[in-house]
Formats: sequence, structure tokens, C-alpha cells
Amino acid sequence: MILVISVLTLIGLVCGVLIFIINKVLPPEPETLKKTEEIASHLPGMNCGACGFPGCFAYAQALAKDKNLITTNPCSTVMQDEKMLESLEKVLDIKIDASAMNKKAVVCCTGDPETIGDYSGVSTCRAANKLTGGFKKCPFGCLGFGDCARVCPQNAIDIYPARGRNVAVVDPKKCTGCGLCVKECPNNLIKLVPADTKIVFLCSYDSIKDVPSREKCFRGCLHCRKCYKSCEQDAIIWNKEKAIPEFDNDKCNLCGACIEACPHDKLIEFSKITSADREEYKEEYREKEKVGSK
Amino acid sequence: MNNLLSIFIVMAIINNMIISKFLGLCPFFGVSKKISNAVSMGVAVTLVMFIASLATSVIYNFILVPFSIEFMNIVIYILVIASLVQIVELIIKRTNINLYNALGIYLPLITTNCAVLGIALINAKEGYSIIESIVSALGAGVGFTLMLVIMSGIREKLEVSDCPKSMRGLPIAFITAALLALAFMGFSGMM
Repeated sequence: MILVISVLTLIGLVCGVLIFIINKVLPPEPETLKKTEEIASHLPGMNCGACGFPGCFAYAQALAKDKNLITTNPCSTVMQDEKMLESLEKVLDIKIDASAMNKKAVVCCTGDPETIGDYSGVSTCRAANKLTGGFKKCPFGCLGFGDCARVCPQNAIDIYPARGRNVAVVDPKKCTGCGLCVKECPNNLIKLVPADTKIVFLCSYDSIKDVPSREKCFRGCLHCRKCYKSCEQDAIIWNKEKAIPEFDNDKCNLCGACIEACPHDKLIEFSKITSADREEYKEEYREKEKVGSK
Repeated sequence: MNNLLSIFIVMAIINNMIISKFLGLCPFFGVSKKISNAVSMGVAVTLVMFIASLATSVIYNFILVPFSIEFMNIVIYILVIASLVQIVELIIKRTNINLYNALGIYLPLITTNCAVLGIALINAKEGYSIIESIVSALGAGVGFTLMLVIMSGIREKLEVSDCPKSMRGLPIAFITAALLALAFMGFSGMM
């Protein structure tokens, strides 16, 4: 009994002393490592890779070397969160202008129901896109298999199934603008827009004037310029080359005239972009459609 | 030499840690999603197994057996392995920061890996000498890595395959593991 206890104590003691000695003998942790660990503790730790570094720890290492990196490679998650931003500012001893870097992802497609045939292959967008560029008529249509939803570390993307079409929708409240979905989408439908965007144009069709998008999708942009004409604030700039509207956020006062004017429902208020809001919005739109058809 | 070779093969393939002993199942399912992760986990486990079984067999042969307190081996092995992993982590962290980053999360994970304690206990049960223990630990590590790589290879393919929604992820991985174990049963009783 005593033998057992003493052997166990002895081994424990030897292990403890060994760790102590090794801790003393080895060179101490380099300063940069300590700094890195401190910075890393103020990063989100999602390892999304949006900053351009492989994971938060690598980002912290780079920041420890050069703190000005935060302006060129900002961490989109920190930029969204005031508390995190404040603590990171304290650690780095630097002032960060977050509003300029705050971005949100938008899937620029309203969902195109027209297909060129049934697709029953591997159910990922990437695989579907490899086969004749997707099964949708429009080569810039959301395929709706949710590759983007699978890579989103915030679960901010859901697939919104209305009227038989699947279209991915990003919830701007959850989105941190990391841009993983932008890289994932094989049709390049997802764009990063500034977080204070007011109106978004939900079509990615690269309009060349000879093939207007309405030929590929019955909900496509007609290039009718109604939105442009309806705007009283001069907030819409007509991009003549692509024949699509572009928006001036400072001038726009969200009057909604352009949204009403659009015959194909291509414009949407950015704050009402989530699927739940859109459901409501669609109801309104359907009402409008019914009245129009009469 | 022949004896050592047979110990190696028995531990690597016939009495494989995962497939026939059911040890180290957590990393088998947790870290087997990507081949690259599986390889680094396997290498880290092999390293720790090697060091741990060296230390534990020294303790077994020179302390536990002479004092005839072999029944204490589990408690003492846990103590020794836990502090060994600490020491290894410390040394790697202070001397080679890149290796530390590469092994990063895996080293602390291994401390609680039952395969490491398992191989030490098996060595004690079989009454292996120090050299035999080292060889059997290396064999077990190689077998562990092999299974992890095979499993992650299959799971990478499973990711894109069209399997029923309720079976996606872990359930199909369990079935795959079962089939894999059946296939490896063909080796049993060969040596």
C-alpha cells in the first residue's frame, strides 16, 4: 500500500519537475508569439479565411508583424461588431474606420424558373454548372443547390423556394461579409455591397444590348429604364454599356418609386431582402400583379 | 527480427487499433473528413504513441515489475502520458513554431486519445520488452494512420455522392466504417 502510494507520488513528482525544468531550460516564448496570442484572442476564431490568411491565428501572426494590415486585409467579422472592434483597436493601438469596410453579400438573382431540361446529377451548383453551364435558361441564374449556404460560417444563407424556383437569399443581419460564398458560386451571382446600400438590383445577367436578359428569363431586366425615369432624386445612374441601373446611395432617400416602377420586380429594398421579408413583399407584388392583369 | 516484423504487422493490420480494437474512434470520425488533416493527425498520433510507449514500457519493466505493482499501470500510465504530451508540446512550441502551428490542435487532442493509453496497456498485457513495445507502438501508429487515410478518402468521395438525406454525414460514415471493419476481418487469425 505504502509502496504503491510512494511510487505514484514519485512518478508524479518526477513528471512535474521534468516539465518545470524543460520550461526553464528552453528559450522563452518569443515576444511576437505572445503578441500574436493576445491578438488572436480578440479575433472571432471562425477561421473563415475572408481576410486572406489561412485562419484567425495566421491573421493574428500577420497583424503582430504589421498592424496596418488591418486596413488592407480587414477582418469582416470584427468590422461588424463594435465590441470586438473596440477591443482589437485597444490591442493594436490603432484607430479603425469600420464603416468603410463593412460589407454584405447579396445574391443577385431573383430566381429564374425557366430550365432547359431536367437535371438529376450530383446536387451541387458546381457540378450542375459544369454541365452546359447549368440547367437554367439564363447562364446567370441561381441554380439553388445551396453551395453558398454550405460554406457560410454564419448560416446566413437559405434557399428560398417560391413559385417553384430556388434562389439563395443572404440574411444581411447574419452576414459578416466574409466573401466565402462569393468565391463558391460557380455563376458568380453573389456580390459584396456596402452595408449601407439602400436599393439592390437583383440580376447578374451581363447585358449586352443585342441579347437582352428577357430573352433568357421571363423575369429578366427589360432595360426599359423605367426605374431611371421614375427616380426624382437622380440617385439612379444608367449604365449605358450594360444597360442596367446603378445607385447613388447618398442621393437615394428610399422613396420606393423605382421599386414600384420596375415591371419585372428586379429592384428590392436592401433591408427587406431576407426570405421572410420577401414573402411579404411578394404578397404585395402579387396583389399588384392581379390588379395589373385586370 | 522476424518476431519484431510480425509484431509490427499484427499491430498495423491484423489487430488494427480502430478496426479490431475499437480504440481511438473519436479521431477516426472527427478528423477523417479531409485526407490532409487525417495524415497530420495520424503522424501526430504515431509520434505520441512512440514516445508514450517508450516511457511506459521503461516504467513497466523497471519499476512496476520489480515492485510487483503491475495492477497500478492504468493510473501511472495516464499520469505519464499526460505529462509527456505536455512536454512534447512545450518543446515543439519553443523550438519549432511552424511545426507547432501545423500540429496545433491535434497535440492536445491526442492527450485524451484512448488509442495512446490502449497501446501502452496492450504492451504491458503482452509482456513486451522495450524494443518490442516501440515496434508495436509504431505498428499501431501506422495502422491508425492507414485507417484514417482510407476513411477520409472514402468520406471525401461520399461528400459528393447522392445518398439519402437522413444518411448524410455521420450515419453513412458509421456504415462505411462497419463495412471497412468487415473487410479487415479477413486478416484476422493470420498470425
